[in-house]
Amino acid sequence: MSAGTATGTGYGLHADVSSASEHESAAVGQHETAQENVQSANPLSRKLNKILDIRLENDKDILEALKVLSAFFSQNTLRSRRNLRGDIERRSLAISEDFAEAFEKVKGGLDSIHSDVESMRSSCQEMTGRLKAAREQTSDLISKTTDLHKESQQLDMRANVTDAFLEKFQLTTNEVMALRGPRNGQLLQEFFAALERVKQIHNDCKILLRTNQQTAGLEIMESMALHEETAYERLYRWIQGECRGLTGDTVEISALHCEAVAALQDRTVLFRYTLDEFGTARRSAMVRGFIEALTRGGPGGTPRPIELHCHEPLRYVGDMFAWLHQTTASEKEHIQGFLRLATSQSRNSDIEDVLGHITEGVCRPLKVRVEQVIVADPGPVLLYRLTNLLKFYTHTISQFLGKEAMLLSCLEEQQELCQKVFFNALTVLASKLVDKVELPPADLGPTPTLTQNLALLREILMSHDSSVVPLDARHSDFVKILGCVLDPLLQMCSLSASRLNPCDMAAYMINCLYAMQSCLALYEFTDQRLEMIAAQISAHQDTLVNEQASYVLSTVSLIQVYSIAQQHKPSEGPLSLVHGMDTTALRSAMVRFDTYLSSPDSSILSQCHLINSPVLREEITKRGTELVCGAYQLLFDSITNPANGYQEPKSIVIRTPDQVRALLL
Amino acid sequence: MASGPYNYSYIFKYIIIGDMGVGKSCLLHQFTEKKFMADCPHTIGVEFGTRIIEVSGQKIKLQIWDTAGQERFRAVTRSYYRGAAGALMVYDITRRSTYNHLSSWLTDARNLTNPNTVIFLIGNKCDLEAQRDVTYEEAKQFAEENGLLFLEASAKTGEHVEEAFLDTAKKIYQNIQDGSLDLNAAESGVQHKPAAPRGNQLNTDQPPNKEGCPC
Repeated sequence: MSAGTATGTGYGLHADVSSASEHESAAVGQHETAQENVQSANPLSRKLNKILDIRLENDKDILEALKVLSAFFSQNTLRSRRNLRGDIERRSLAISEDFAEAFEKVKGGLDSIHSDVESMRSSCQEMTGRLKAAREQTSDLISKTTDLHKESQQLDMRANVTDAFLEKFQLTTNEVMALRGPRNGQLLQEFFAALERVKQIHNDCKILLRTNQQTAGLEIMESMALHEETAYERLYRWIQGECRGLTGDTVEISALHCEAVAALQDRTVLFRYTLDEFGTARRSAMVRGFIEALTRGGPGGTPRPIELHCHEPLRYVGDMFAWLHQTTASEKEHIQGFLRLATSQSRNSDIEDVLGHITEGVCRPLKVRVEQVIVADPGPVLLYRLTNLLKFYTHTISQFLGKEAMLLSCLEEQQELCQKVFFNALTVLASKLVDKVELPPADLGPTPTLTQNLALLREILMSHDSSVVPLDARHSDFVKILGCVLDPLLQMCSLSASRLNPCDMAAYMINCLYAMQSCLALYEFTDQRLEMIAAQISAHQDTLVNEQASYVLSTVSLIQVYSIAQQHKPSEGPLSLVHGMDTTALRSAMVRFDTYLSSPDSSILSQCHLINSPVLREEITKRGTELVCGAYQLLFDSITNPANGYQEPKSIVIRTPDQVRALLL
Repeated sequence: MASGPYNYSYIFKYIIIGDMGVGKSCLLHQFTEKKFMADCPHTIGVEFGTRIIEVSGQKIKLQIWDTAGQERFRAVTRSYYRGAAGALMVYDITRRSTYNHLSSWLTDARNLTNPNTVIFLIGNKCDLEAQRDVTYEEAKQFAEENGLLFLEASAKTGEHVEEAFLDTAKKIYQNIQDGSLDLNAAESGVQHKPAAPRGNQLNTDQPPNKEGCPC
């Protein structure tokens, strides 16, 4: 059994045994060399040892093998024991055959794999070859595509640039549409944006011209200029049409109008035409309004039509001018609205121009009416007040209008005409005065003509006083009026007084001058005239004073005596020896003087009584009396002078000059 | 239509009347400039100012004619009543004489304006309470008797100034709404700017008179 086992395990077992023994022998060798040598000398013992040394429990292979072997036989027969080896070998052979068979299959599989791989390899090679060929073929194409790609990128870039350029330098269809506008000629808000862009582009073209894109620049510029022109033309046509519609009482000025006007500012000619068009429309509206206010009045006749008052020249003219003033102010507002977006520097003068144009229309109807009033000769007073009214309104309305406005020159013309007619009327009156000189009345008072004329003058001055014209303008008027009226009046008075005796003349002149003076004294700017009149009055007063004194002296027969005494010089000898100066004559004269002293009032000139002004009258008699007193003083001095050789002078001149003075004054 | 100072649908014409020195020009100045004018010179003839206000959502332009109170301008100022939609009649509460003259001013206003003209009585200088010479009640009664609107105001402090001008406009606007004020008649003192396009309006207008027409 052990041998069988040993062989059963075969090869490996054997090898194991030998290797183990070798190993062992090598290990034991060192200590027990001698014993080993003995044992090894005996093969059997060696074999036995070897077998004994085997530790079966530790050898799993053997255990396994044995386990398998134990399942070989169901019966422990001899035959089985004898054939064990064969059996094992048969089995081993069968197993090996199985292996061989199995490997045969594996080999077949591997062979087919190999062939597959081989075919794959060849196809791969083929493909690589083909690829290589293809690559060779396509490399051209690829480089071409790359080029094309680059090119396309460049083109894209260019396209972008071009788009940007077009965006900057071309109008969009919408904008073009906006510029052209809808068929009905309406103007839309977009128009202005488009126009603005056209201008912008036109302006930007200058940059193009500076670069080397000059052709493009020029072309775009040209086309934009064309667009601009047509746009402006369209704009003008539109605003022209709109303006023509602005003839109603009310003016609706829309934002579009204002924008259109502002845009047209760049085209001076069109701008001007537009303003003209606007002005013309408003002008006809104003004329119509004026005629309506004149003839139709307000709703239901209140306020009444202006012409209803044409019999009251001042009110009639005043109403017309007030209407003009108010309407002019309103029209100015309209223009300001119309031009509110206009920025030109000449805006103010433009407004004035247009306003001048608008107000031009009413000039004729106004002129005709005012002239009618003036020419109808309403009398100097009314004419004067009309002149003032015209002056006032010329001034008031001139605040709105430019200097060359037609309405203004029309007003000035009317004013001048009115003033001329007024002064004409005054001159006519004056010339009548001088033509037909009245004789002074018996009472030497002012003639009725004078009184009438002064009343007229007073009336004029009074209206002057309440005039609406500024002071300095009134002043110059005044001097002229006074010259016109007073000078002929004075002339008339002098003429009518020319045939009177000096006394009557003085009294008459004083009365006339006094009337003038009291008339003028109430008004402003008359100082110079008053001074002149006062001087004339005092000159005439002097005459009367002298007349009065000599009248008194002559009634008491002292005039001769007085003049002799006055002219006597001491060198001519004593006065008593002069003829007529003897004591007796003097004494009788002094007696008469005494009676005068008792009732001085009876010896006042009749002319003095006729002086109208009590103050002047008083002054004349007083100064006359003073003169008489002076004369008495002279006589008294002469008589009491011993050199004149009067005996008992005190009996001739009983009273002292002071006594006389006290009695008379 | 763009908004802005030119956007308004009506123009109302006002006239301010009253004795000299009652503060007519100052009221106007306070209303248009919102400032008090301390040394206000005498008005020469007639002056005017404008302001746009809003009544019931409607923008209205007031065109205000400020007349001189001096007697010598009376003839001139009388011509300006024509076509006024509103008349502001002013007196000075510290001077009875200015109050006493109201009836003559009122006569003028009634005779020279159209029957629908709104007349507003203003007692100015109500800041000078200490110098008051006309009582509120008295003036109120006068206003009621004559069918006038009435307020005491002060151009100096601005009190009630705005109200006086606005209330007048409201009343005028109310008259328009009632239909008692005929807008189509000339010189109603009100100009209306129609919102509708003016095309059809144009056709109804009579052809403009040629300038040469002297009638």
